[in-house]
Amino acid sequence: MDHNEKLARGQSLSKYFVLYYVLACQEGERMNWFGFGFNGFGQIIAADVKCKVSTPVLLSDARGSDCRVSGSWSSRAAVIHTDSGSRVCVSGFLRGSSGQVCVPESEGCTDASISERHVTVSFTRRVECWEIQQAQNRLVWSREQESSGQDVALPLVPGGYVVPRPPFFRPLCAKLCAVSLALGTEHAVLLTASGTVFTWGSGSHGQLGHGHLTSQEEAQVVEALWGVQIAAVSAGGWHSASVSAGGDLYMWGWNESGQLGLPSQSVEEEKLRARRPVNQAEEKNKDDVFISIQAFPALVDIPQVSEIIRVACGSRHTAAVTGTGDLYTWGWGSYGQLGHDTERSTDEPALVKYFHSHDMRVRDVVCGLWNTYVSAVPEEPSSHKHTHTE
Amino acid sequence: MFFSLYTISLLNQKSIDLLNFLPPLAQMWTEVRTILPSTMDDFIIEFSEKIEPSVLKVLELARDQLYSRPDCPSSAETAQIIIDYSWENLNTGTWRDVDKEWRRMYSYGCLFKVLSLCNGDPSQAKVKEAIKTCDMGLLMGAAIMDNILQRLVCILKNTMKLKSTKVEKSEEPCSKKMKWECVSEPVINPARAVPRIQCPSLERFRSDFLDPQKPTIIEGIINHWPAFTEHPWSIDYLRSVAGCRTVPIEVGSKYTDEEWSQKLITVNEFIDGYILGTEEKGVGYLAQHQLFDQIPELKEDIRIPDYCCLGEGEEDDITINAWFGPGGTVSPLHQDPQQNFLAQVVGRKYIRLYSPEVTENLYPHDSQLLHNTSQVEVENPDLVKFPEFPKASYEECVLQPGDVLFIPVQHWHYVRSLELSFSVSFWWS
Repeated sequence: MDHNEKLARGQSLSKYFVLYYVLACQEGERMNWFGFGFNGFGQIIAADVKCKVSTPVLLSDARGSDCRVSGSWSSRAAVIHTDSGSRVCVSGFLRGSSGQVCVPESEGCTDASISERHVTVSFTRRVECWEIQQAQNRLVWSREQESSGQDVALPLVPGGYVVPRPPFFRPLCAKLCAVSLALGTEHAVLLTASGTVFTWGSGSHGQLGHGHLTSQEEAQVVEALWGVQIAAVSAGGWHSASVSAGGDLYMWGWNESGQLGLPSQSVEEEKLRARRPVNQAEEKNKDDVFISIQAFPALVDIPQVSEIIRVACGSRHTAAVTGTGDLYTWGWGSYGQLGHDTERSTDEPALVKYFHSHDMRVRDVVCGLWNTYVSAVPEEPSSHKHTHTE
Repeated sequence: MFFSLYTISLLNQKSIDLLNFLPPLAQMWTEVRTILPSTMDDFIIEFSEKIEPSVLKVLELARDQLYSRPDCPSSAETAQIIIDYSWENLNTGTWRDVDKEWRRMYSYGCLFKVLSLCNGDPSQAKVKEAIKTCDMGLLMGAAIMDNILQRLVCILKNTMKLKSTKVEKSEEPCSKKMKWECVSEPVINPARAVPRIQCPSLERFRSDFLDPQKPTIIEGIINHWPAFTEHPWSIDYLRSVAGCRTVPIEVGSKYTDEEWSQKLITVNEFIDGYILGTEEKGVGYLAQHQLFDQIPELKEDIRIPDYCCLGEGEEDDITINAWFGPGGTVSPLHQDPQQNFLAQVVGRKYIRLYSPEVTENLYPHDSQLLHNTSQVEVENPDLVKFPEFPKASYEECVLQPGDVLFIPVQHWHYVRSLELSFSVSFWWS
């Protein structure tokens, strides 16, 4: 269909007219961010009416394709682009109470990342770390840098990466050719230009993927993925994820709430409690095998999904975007961070119906410790759907 | 009618003395109230800079809610946020490195959860959950407010006693058969028997056993324990004193196994499932747990052996562990970094001892985690993998109720229970 045909069809379907036009020309401006999960400090909905949001809610200030979102436990930062420039806006716990405020020191920034006490902001030629919990924002660290040809996202910066505590700058060997870095609670997962994955940090829960529980100070190749070209990596509290160029999802680390999509004993016990068996001493099926720690990468199979394109990890949950624009979540769900309108955890990847039923195509996902932030655009109604309005 | 008056009166008021507005049913709440600081200003919260201001805010909110709206429905939720966040921090780093501040925070979370459960006239199920929550705070947290969780659990236990009018299914005495293990009864070779001695003097013990670091079984020094006299330890007694308390249980035949794991269950559940219960649950062992810190009532039944004063350390530094399980529990051959008195109270144990001098024949694990543990299965050694093992000389014994085994520091020891057994170990320096 060419542009004119689309317009003609759009005109005959008044409900979709605007959508068609906008989709054809300016998809980016229709991109919105949604959030769900822990809202105890108003990081999702400004008025902290409830501390758990279990279905996606529109983030009123975060829209546009340039908008980047990052989350900590108690707050959320969005890099907002307007005609007058870009800046970071923070929602959540700030200076002793819940609120929503822009960080004036971030004018002109290209990227930002938020943690409990700091916001790290990168600009074209420098990166800064600001402490934002005191009465006045305080610059605790900064570094001038060569503007790199490659556009790398925080925490990567030219020459290394940044963490919100001393020493703020950690150098990385140039030979690694890092293109992406994910920092978990106590480990790191790095992706190189050639599609190889390195990990380092604490190995106590198998999160390094080397097949044992020993911690490593130096970056080490995840050998089990050797030969598979990886396109994206993510790190959560104690688990790790990587997406291959072919759309396969591999995960390793702690599975205590089913965050690896493997059978979890606690999830099973939660199910049993919910069913309230008459016989309190009901024995579990002895053949049930539960996995607490997975020290080698394991393939995550989601039925009816052929391709994963993005993955993000919270402290104990995981979210993944498929090639067809669907969002699946699994793991710990007590704060609604799975977006299934429930507080139950699950060890089986489940579709977040909200986006599908609101005709939205998910583009990206980012996690705070106990929440999930999703960017989505209105979906072009497919030929499978009925085109008459409701 | 009483509850609605109670609620309305408390809205928008701080620092109120709750005793004036209590409905007659909330007896337990009265008791609980007396151990809390009387006003909000007296409830002091102090944490180091390491604790993020965000979670501190939640803690302050919980405290404020307690004094202004104790029956607020969201108080349980607020408490759970503190518990969940501090739990994640407890799991960061190795247990030894965990900042004590996070353990204190976890205890505060448990405290507020318990208080939200206790409000009004809670059901027996809620009281049970409150006891379990106190135990989680005692096991994984650190003492706060003059060990308030310990005092709370006493009040809750007394309430449980009053509330349970009918005997629960799990308390039916002796209707379940004890697990009869086909345990092999070892025959002690007299040439290798650990020597026995009756009530030695302090000097005698020091010169003959402590200084030369020789294992010995001391007889006649614990028979006066209340655990043998006033409150003879039995399954029924343990149920009555500690039945509803949550304890850590090791599941799996030994800690070197891949299948080995730990779980937190009540003493009643442990007795029902692993001592009296069916075979299918596998071996369960309440092992190496400082039960007597958790349940002071049981501490009254034992005494620290006098010989511990021969050491250099303080009495407060002596670690007292409980070892309670069915027949067939195995502690693989290992060594400990302190002197040990192993007191046998119930049942018998087969114990084998190897001197540190023969360590090279015992094939300790390479890993840092298990370097104090031998790879050899003492009663079923793989002589192809461990050919030097038979060269190692050893002593052995069957420890009987009333015996105390002296295990010198770094002395290798292997322990297998022959029947239902309860031992108490004293680690001292």
